[in-house]
Order: sequence, then C-alpha cells, then structure tokens
Amino acid sequence: MPNSNGANSELFESLRMELRRGCLVLAVLARLKTEQYGYTLRKSLSEAGLEIDEGTLYPLLRRLETQGLLVSTWREQDKRNKRFYRRSPQGELVFTQLLSEWLDINASLDRTLQEAGQA
Amino acid sequence: MSKIFNSQELIDRYVQAVRFWLPASQQPDIPAELSEDLRSQIDEKESEIGRPLSENEVMAILKRCGPPMVVASRYRPQTSLIGPVLFPIYLFVLKLVLLWVLTPLFLVIIGPAMILPASNRFSALLSTFGTFGTALFMSAAVITMVFAILERSQAALKLTEWNKHSLPPLPKNPQPSKTQSVFELVFAVGGFLYLLAIPHYDFLVLGPAAAFLKINPAFMATFYWPVLFLSMLGMAQRILLLVRPMWSWYPAASHLFGTAIGLTVIHYILNFAVQPPGDWHPYVVLVDAASASLQVKKTEAIVNVSILLSMAGTWLGLCIAFVIQTWELLRQIRKGVPQAGDPALLRML
Repeated sequence: MPNSNGANSELFESLRMELRRGCLVLAVLARLKTEQYGYTLRKSLSEAGLEIDEGTLYPLLRRLETQGLLVSTWREQDKRNKRFYRRSPQGELVFTQLLSEWLDINASLDRTLQEAGQA
Repeated sequence: MSKIFNSQELIDRYVQAVRFWLPASQQPDIPAELSEDLRSQIDEKESEIGRPLSENEVMAILKRCGPPMVVASRYRPQTSLIGPVLFPIYLFVLKLVLLWVLTPLFLVIIGPAMILPASNRFSALLSTFGTFGTALFMSAAVITMVFAILERSQAALKLTEWNKHSLPPLPKNPQPSKTQSVFELVFAVGGFLYLLAIPHYDFLVLGPAAAFLKINPAFMATFYWPVLFLSMLGMAQRILLLVRPMWSWYPAASHLFGTAIGLTVIHYILNFAVQPPGDWHPYVVLVDAASASLQVKKTEAIVNVSILLSMAGTWLGLCIAFVIQTWELLRQIRKGVPQAGDPALLRML
C-alpha cells in the first residue's frame, strides 16, 4: 500500500532524526577539540559518515555557543571572513560527561540487542 | 552575447531573504556565516569541475539548503503559543465551553428565544447561526488569549507543582444505592397519587385559598394529562433504576430525557398565560367572581403572578440542568462506550 509505505517512511525519517540529534551534538563537540569553521567541520563530519546539512549544523553551533559549550571568533582566511569554533572549558567538561554517557548507553544497547537476538 | 552569470548575486539574494526572517539580535552574524558556507561549496565544486557553475547548478545548492524562511526558523528557539503542559487543559476548556456550554445554550435557550417569536423564522435562523458563529469564534479567541498569557506566567503560577492531595479522587460507583432508588420510587408514587387527587380537591394545590380560588378549568384541561404523564415517566424511571442498576448510562440518560420533557411542558405552561400575545389567561380563577372583594381579586392576581414567576424560574433552572445533564451523559458515553467483545457490553444488556 503506497500510503502505508509513505507513512512508514515518514515515521522512520522522524525517528531517525530523533536518534541522530543527540549523536550530532556529541560528534560536533568531538570535532571541535581543534578549531574549525563551519564548512570544514561539515566536510569532516561528512567524511566520517555523518552527513549534516548547513541548515542543521549552523543553528546547532549557534545553540551550543549560546549554552556556553563553544566559543567562536571571526577571522580572515583565504581572503574571506570565516567564523571559527572550538570547545570552551565548559564544553570540554560537558563533552567528557556526554561521552561517558554515550559509551554507557551504547554498551547497554548492545547488551539489550544481543539478549533480544537482534544484534 | 550571453550575459555572464554572477553566482555571488544569487547567494546574496538568498541570504538577504534568510536575513528577513531572522531575529534582529542574530543579524548580520548568521547571514555572513551562511553566505561564507555557500561560497565555499560553490568554490569547491567549481575547482572540482574546472569551470564556473551555471545558474541551475547554484540554484540546486540553494534548493538543497532549503527555503529561506525554513532556514531562518531553525535559528529560533522552539516556541509555541500554548506549550505541552497547558495544552491538554486548554483543549479541555475549549471543548467544554464550545461544545458543552455554548452549543446547548444556543440550541435550548438562545436559538428558540430568537427564532420562535420572529415573524420571519428563516431570517431569524440565519441570524442565530451568525450569532452562534461569532460567539464560538470570540470564545475560542478569548480562551486562547487567556491560555497564552498563562503560558507566559507558568513559572510564577507554579502549574507544574503537584502533590498527592492535588490528585482527584477516584470516581465513586455511578450506580445509585438500592435504598435511594426505593425511596425515590416511594416519593414518585406518592406524587402520582397526589396528582390523581388534584381534580377532586382544589385545596391540595391552593390550601385555604381554595375557598375563593380554583384552578382555571382551561388550564386543567390542557395540562393535567401532560403533567400526569411526566409523573408516570418519573415512576417508570425509578422502577427501571431498581431492576436494571447495571445500566450505568441510564440515570444520566433518563434525567436528560425527563428534563427535556419537563422543559417542553413548562414552555407551554408559560405560553398559556399570555396566549394570544397580550391576552392574559390566569392559572387560577375566582370561584365567585361576581361577589369577590377587591382584596380577594388582589390575592388572585398575586397567586397568578407567583405561579408565572416560579414557572419561569423552573424553566431557567431546567435549561441549566439540561446543559449539565447533556455534558454528564456525553462524558459517560465517551468514558464507558464498550468495545465489541467487552464484557461490559454484556452487562449492559
């Protein structure tokens, strides 16, 4: 049934976005241990298998900066003004905590999936 | 000679459109960053293919980025007029007012009051619909505004704080007790016997005034049987309550039905007094009008006006009861409509 397939794919897309949302924060914080500007950050994430469009990345960077987890500066590079981001001291702390949480969740999920015979 | 395509101009137009939808505090930071990203994408693509991008190719990049309004909206924090905490209460109040208060009010009171006395009933019906629509719209707007204000003062109102005392108690057993049903039946039978005796003994209604007043024979001829029917209906309701206590929907449905019949009868009783308009038909008349003193005539007038006012009061009370009982019944139906195969369905039969 096309309608049911359409609804399923819409549902899958919504759940996929939900699943990715938290992971992206972790990935962005991980990458911004070293200073990067938006375009190179997006490219490096994409090369690592985490596709993220500009409409998602820049608002996320803005939110993380407002929350005090990132700091940014405008600087000229290749004759163009670019905004460079990196983790703030608070970002370092939160990243460590999030990473530990992520590893725990990952391990729990692995165990759960193995027990359920899904892995 | 073909005009050389300027990709920067297209980027600038796109970014300008995004900027329009951004909050003032975030301009021009975000547009500059977005513009830089788009420029980088185009530059990289151009160096990859070794030629400038065409207008269509640049448009494809911008299209993938998304509509300017959507792109700008992603920078805003998620906002809502009425948030998830208040929304269920908002929906409840909205439904309560629009469906269970305004709609019955128009169906039972305002509608008949506007349509029945009108000379052109079709025009009155249209006018009632118009007024009803306006009332619905205005009520919804006011309720939404109040909840939007509440949403913004939620922290001050401490709406999310609760403890065990703020939890509503579990609903009581909707079935009436057997003792209550027996007593109600006894009183209903007593009332029926009282009504049967009235045509023979005026003092049962008028007390000592029966010496000089009597019930208007025209009134008795018109309303005695309908009132007797109401009384019989009341008895039948009580008997059913006793023999079918498992019909949880029944008390609410029978009360509503009884109220509707009562409203109809009282409507005609009220009309009786002023029928045709301007001509006064008393409920009680003098036994001997020719020799009655002024004092007795005054008493007759006072008794008639008192009956008229009490009937009008009863009519108003029944209208309110009708609204409440409709709400009760619908609530019970919504809560207790059993599904096929549900044992509750078997219990109801």
